[in-house]
Amino acid sequence: MASLIHCPHCGIRPKEEFSIRGDASLVRPDPAASDEAWNDYVHIRSNPRGRYHEHWQHGAGCRRWLVVERDTFTHEVFSVTDAASVARKAGR
Amino acid sequence: MTRTYISHHPLDGLLPLEPGIRAVDHLDVPRAVAIASVMAMEGEEASVTAGLAASGDISVRFAGPGEWLALSRSETPDSLERALSLLLAETAYVFEQSDGRVVFRLSGPNVRRILAKGIATDLHPGSFEIGTSSNVLCGHIGVNLARTGENEFELIAMRSFAVALFDDLRVMGREFDLSAGFSTLG
Ligand SMILES: [Zn+2]
Repeated sequence: MASLIHCPHCGIRPKEEFSIRGDASLVRPDPAASDEAWNDYVHIRSNPRGRYHEHWQHGAGCRRWLVVERDTFTHEVFSVTDAASVARKAGR
Repeated sequence: MTRTYISHHPLDGLLPLEPGIRAVDHLDVPRAVAIASVMAMEGEEASVTAGLAASGDISVRFAGPGEWLALSRSETPDSLERALSLLLAETAYVFEQSDGRVVFRLSGPNVRRILAKGIATDLHPGSFEIGTSSNVLCGHIGVNLARTGENEFELIAMRSFAVALFDDLRVMGREFDLSAGFSTLG
């Protein structure tokens, strides 16, 4: 686990200040999508070895949701971005 | 001056009413500080930042993007909320928090070594400059930490965590004979 996270709002912080929600690359299906699409979205997760985008919430700091891009094997952190700006960039 | 604070401070009974002998490292607990939280409306972050900067003797603590705590020792809780609501009308939401938070002021030559026992954030004078403030984790308790002087920091905690945080700060400061007492300024 990466032990230091560079929060774009608060600076370098210990991982204890954050809670992790999981995969940030999933996109919520249309409400009318098939049961299968919803099942995949809600329940099915990969467990990748390597680069991974994850939602982290800085609960003990700015309380913002962040997208942390990190390597699950080397623990290297590549980028930390506010989740709202990630969503805006993706047109969501 | 009308006081609308809850008359019981959470540390009543744990701190002596009369000031005791003050060590070089001291934990000062002001009894009456007016505190309000300020949240900028969407898109108004810059104008609220500018408004707060021009708010005179109100001290402003960063909590998150578009979110601050505003403190005053001269205003009452009501007058602080009124002043901020007027100043930031139509740009921010202002909520009175005076009874919900407790302020701890820690000062002395060993202040960083004491804080390092609970806070993992870099508090080196060069990276956490005077006037800097942020929400941090102290042990298991979230606090708003501000550097208010060369060797002086203020911690603002939720009222219900005040006793636990006080216990933690005492243990953190024991090595340096940290003294503690209510502020003589009120
Ligand atoms: Zn943060």
